[in-house]
Amino acid sequence: MERKQLLKRKTSISYKTEEKTVMRGYNLSDLAEEGYSFYDAMFVLFQNRIPTQEEEKMLKYEMGVFLEHSMSPSAVGAIGVSAGRPNLPVCVAAAVSTFGGVHGPGAAHGYMLNKYLERAEKEGKTVDEMAKTLVDEYMDAGRPVMGMGQPQHIDSDPRAEPIHLKQEELELKGVYLEFQRALEKHFHARRKADGRSYVGVNVVGSGNTALMEVGFSPNAGWCIGSVVRGFSCAAHALFNMKKGRAWGASRNEPMVQMIDLSMIKYIGPEDRIVPKQEERQEYAKKQKEEGEYKKWVI
Amino acid sequence: MGYLDKEKTDALNRQKRERTIGNLGSPKNPFDYYDREYGTMPRDSKRAQFQWVSEVAYKNVHRIVTRGYDTTELMEEGYGVIEVLFVDYQARIPTIEEEKMLNYIMIMTLEDGLSAPAAISRIVARSKTFLTQACGASIMAFGHAYGAYSAFGNRLDTYLTMAKEKNLSLQSAAELLIEENLNDEALGVSDLMLKDPAAKRMLARAEKLGIAGKYISFMREIVKAARKMSDQPVDLDMLGATGAAMMDLGFTPEATWAILAVTRSFAAGAHYIEEVEREESNRLGQELTPKEDYDGPEDRPVPPLADREKVSTPATCTTPDEWKQRFEKMKDVHGSGFSIIEEVKDPSKKSGIKKVGKL
Repeated sequence: MERKQLLKRKTSISYKTEEKTVMRGYNLSDLAEEGYSFYDAMFVLFQNRIPTQEEEKMLKYEMGVFLEHSMSPSAVGAIGVSAGRPNLPVCVAAAVSTFGGVHGPGAAHGYMLNKYLERAEKEGKTVDEMAKTLVDEYMDAGRPVMGMGQPQHIDSDPRAEPIHLKQEELELKGVYLEFQRALEKHFHARRKADGRSYVGVNVVGSGNTALMEVGFSPNAGWCIGSVVRGFSCAAHALFNMKKGRAWGASRNEPMVQMIDLSMIKYIGPEDRIVPKQEERQEYAKKQKEEGEYKKWVI
Repeated sequence: MGYLDKEKTDALNRQKRERTIGNLGSPKNPFDYYDREYGTMPRDSKRAQFQWVSEVAYKNVHRIVTRGYDTTELMEEGYGVIEVLFVDYQARIPTIEEEKMLNYIMIMTLEDGLSAPAAISRIVARSKTFLTQACGASIMAFGHAYGAYSAFGNRLDTYLTMAKEKNLSLQSAAELLIEENLNDEALGVSDLMLKDPAAKRMLARAEKLGIAGKYISFMREIVKAARKMSDQPVDLDMLGATGAAMMDLGFTPEATWAILAVTRSFAAGAHYIEEVEREESNRLGQELTPKEDYDGPEDRPVPPLADREKVSTPATCTTPDEWKQRFEKMKDVHGSGFSIIEEVKDPSKKSGIKKVGKL
């Protein structure tokens, strides 16, 4: 069969011939035969190196603990898409695509750490001093500090501190963990001083710190975190596709369904008469003049 | 919220009935359009309120649990992604051999050069998007030809069930499968891996680990049958090796499809990153499509709007013969969709599309 190139690019990630597939110089089949783990392969893929055992263990822990999170935007996205019964990959694609500026913002957290570490280096400040600067700058500006707070796990994300502890146990204590720990310390102190409630570290704050410590860039870390969640979101979509009702609105189910008509609460403009075409121009001009519509513009 | 009160509802409806609105007063309508309620449906107090129902996982303020196992506890006990995949999809902890096999498969599935998932990821990257958009798009590249694990696996199940019901040997079932599907994209046998031993190594590894079962045995028979019936050299390919091994690990075709598509998406992320690092982004309208690649109608003047009735061709056909003639004619219009047949089915039942192809 014809095997022409789909997209012409210079790439340093991989090549593929009729004889083998090679990633960063390693024949993938040889890598698997040799007994390396999938986590090792992540280091080869993103960092062009075989990791130490401790680094491999850290990634295994972080990916494993992040994989399943029950009902988060990603799982809900997958389930919502599955209601129309498209092909399964579409549900998973939607789930992975939910990771943005708020849900699992791994890259944002990573870039934040890198930016302030660079400032520490340039301004000759200690990690602790710069972590305090970060907290003060973010909180003075009313910006959420990346990696802190989770709307469901209000007493701190159950995965978060154990990730820090695992990092310490594996003796992977570098500048990122030092910075993140200091950030958390100053964050808690600031909130306490402001008379505000306790907000714990979340899994991005701890997990992404670990990923950065073992050498992943912000985007590589984000990729690892958000894509690994895709595995469980596919399971949630599959459960709904195989054992749930399509559409999510059946009135025959004993429980009110996800998009049952009664689940809709409307808070927009009141019901109104559609103007006839001959009334349209005058109607539209008046509507613009009155400007009441502006409060509904999104 | 709930429905608008009766007085206001009646007033609005009366006004509309007097004004009349298009065809809404037609007696052919299934109900009276001028007697409809306004506002949203009241809450349903007779049934239980909506909750997210799941067999897969739950969480509360202090824990996340999949199939009964606390995920943090799983990690503290030394398990990882591979094991959680078994837990999520099969509600069980895998044996060490199974864990090794899935690890092997996932390494092999991780990267495939600049094939569709990586290419799509890179194209999305050029629009200056989040990385996650590109990773998501790469997963959509898995269909019923590329990465056709659902179609492949469901077919294996169909023929194995048939073999059991009709008391056929694996060899006979494989021959029947090949007779009926020799040129299908989701066969798992092709000329793609004649020089690359990776697929065969994977099955050998499965046998060495003791996880090879009925699917790998059946796959071997399918390869034999295909070699016999094909007029060109063919062998086990990655779809066949990976799909059969995954199913012997207990994963359903759909689970296999999802797991392996997501696995590839990690590498698609690396391709996104490299594209951003090494290439430029695209602007709207930037790309040209050379005329030499165009084989549509010759350039022609746009008729004046006033001449529309003279130049327009209505599509309405009044007899089946007319309909058939138009249908056949439209096949010459590439991009119109008349040359494609699809039976779009509910993928929760099987693989989604029973047949996809060109007429």
